[in-house]
Amino acid sequence: MTNEEIREQINAIFESAIKHSEVTEHGDLVVHVAVDQFLMLMAYLKQNRDYDFDYLSQITGVDYLEMDPDREFRFDVVYELYSMSKDHHIQIHVGLPEEEPTLPSVYHLWRGADFPERELYDMFGIIVMDHPNMKRLLMPEDWEGHPLLKDYPLTVEEVAFSHNPDHKSELIKTPEDMKVDPWA
Amino acid sequence: MGVTEQGLLERDKDTMTLNMGPQHPSTHGVFRVILEMDGEIVRSAEPDIGFLHTGIEKNAENKRYVHCIPMTDRLDYLSPPQNNLAFCLTTEKLLGVKELPARADYLRVMMCELGRIGSHLVWLGTHALDIGAMTVFLYTWREREMILDLNEIISGVRMMTSYIRIGGVAQDATPEWLDGVRKFVDYFPAKVDEYESLLTNNPIWLDRTRGIGTLTKDEAILWSMSGPILRAAGLDWDWRKKKPYSRYDEFKFDVPTQDHGDIYDRYLVRVEEMRQSREIVKQALDHLPDGPYKIEDNKISLPPRDTLHTSMEALIHHFKLVSDGVKVPKGEAYVPTEGPRGEVGFHIVSDGSNTPYRVKMRAPSFMGIPGMCQMMEGAFISDVVAIIGSVDIVMGEVDR
Repeated sequence: MTNEEIREQINAIFESAIKHSEVTEHGDLVVHVAVDQFLMLMAYLKQNRDYDFDYLSQITGVDYLEMDPDREFRFDVVYELYSMSKDHHIQIHVGLPEEEPTLPSVYHLWRGADFPERELYDMFGIIVMDHPNMKRLLMPEDWEGHPLLKDYPLTVEEVAFSHNPDHKSELIKTPEDMKVDPWA
Repeated sequence: MGVTEQGLLERDKDTMTLNMGPQHPSTHGVFRVILEMDGEIVRSAEPDIGFLHTGIEKNAENKRYVHCIPMTDRLDYLSPPQNNLAFCLTTEKLLGVKELPARADYLRVMMCELGRIGSHLVWLGTHALDIGAMTVFLYTWREREMILDLNEIISGVRMMTSYIRIGGVAQDATPEWLDGVRKFVDYFPAKVDEYESLLTNNPIWLDRTRGIGTLTKDEAILWSMSGPILRAAGLDWDWRKKKPYSRYDEFKFDVPTQDHGDIYDRYLVRVEEMRQSREIVKQALDHLPDGPYKIEDNKISLPPRDTLHTSMEALIHHFKLVSDGVKVPKGEAYVPTEGPRGEVGFHIVSDGSNTPYRVKMRAPSFMGIPGMCQMMEGAFISDVVAIIGSVDIVMGEVDR
């Protein structure tokens, strides 16, 4: 089964939930899905014998705040799935809004989602529902803020943001906002 | 825990909580695991990571593409060329670079395979040391020293080579290095046999590794394990064969697999991989093509140094590349590669500027830890160090 055939089948079944799908010039299959049908799609991809996407390679969160502030969804979560028996590869994108970014866990489909989903919460504040052990992974448990957000400065001096006068001013954090005092 | 009237400690549950790490020497870095023990048997194991969190992914968003390469060295610090390669391949995919000169690809392959041998030597030495076989450690360090010396000759650095660059490699191989590689290639097979003579049929080694830490093929897939762990469980999966990058399809090598998926099988797979890697290095050395060692597009790779004095264009390109860096077109890409521990890849999102917008590393050790803790459940406490050693985690890429 080619990537183009998979794309057409998924489009036919999930119709309106598929926001965008393409086979890129490099031959990668990329599907953007709405969050309400996301879990259905993932379960379908795993359980359909013709696709047999049995391997979750990784989950990546992307914060599009700086690149495109007017984007419909601030976050994209990207899932890389492989089929070990059929040699397929698919990339699933889910868009999440700035207010209450939540999405369902795929832990019961792929156990390998355990750490990446916790990392999503840790780094982006994206809440993954139904994850069996949802807490911070890399940062200390009492840490405030989510480091990979684009409005989270790299240092307490807002080097990365102050040069841009058009940037949303409320996003610029001062040390007081951060409640992190490196000299304390 | 309460105290009884006689002053004895009263247990409030049937199991005992035992903390292991983060400074335990057998955790190969700063890995902590909280074990619920029922006597000698582990009932559950909860991993705790983040002690080596260096924020490399956040840092990369504020650095130019070229400046990210030395940071990728420090992720999986036992095989830096593999990380460089994964990062450069993804950037080249975004840049639309279709093909590199053959010499560049061959030098990349040689560095990656020497890195794989070096990484497996560290694994074998420390893994055997954890289980109690001390001799192997001293032997493997001896051979690894040769690889580090070779690294120093070709890149000036022993460990963090940063040798692979966007569009090729940092500099051409010197005759001295090629001679050194030739000597190593001729010398190494007898040494692998020597390690095997110490371990493969050693009854203590068999007792400690056979049937322990077993992960079946389906479990290994379910837990997103990759590399030698998948292959030890019987799955013939190697990105060098599945989606050949850097001309891996021009080399003849086997992908070793085993059936049981226990610690012993992982040992056999990795030892055989060392032989196969040496085979690839030998083939690359025998057929090393002449020609340029990086692409000639000076918008991506630096022009030759001697042209700067005669060519205005070369001078401008040099100045722009050094002061401004490579501008990568908007888009996102992911290229999987086969590292010593499994699938290594970078998901890079570019906004069209000279710094990556988002860099995410797919680290095989990071993805392997939940599966590793799954293996510990039901095992004896003495097997926990053997299991950690068999998964071969590197904390640099786990915490990133």
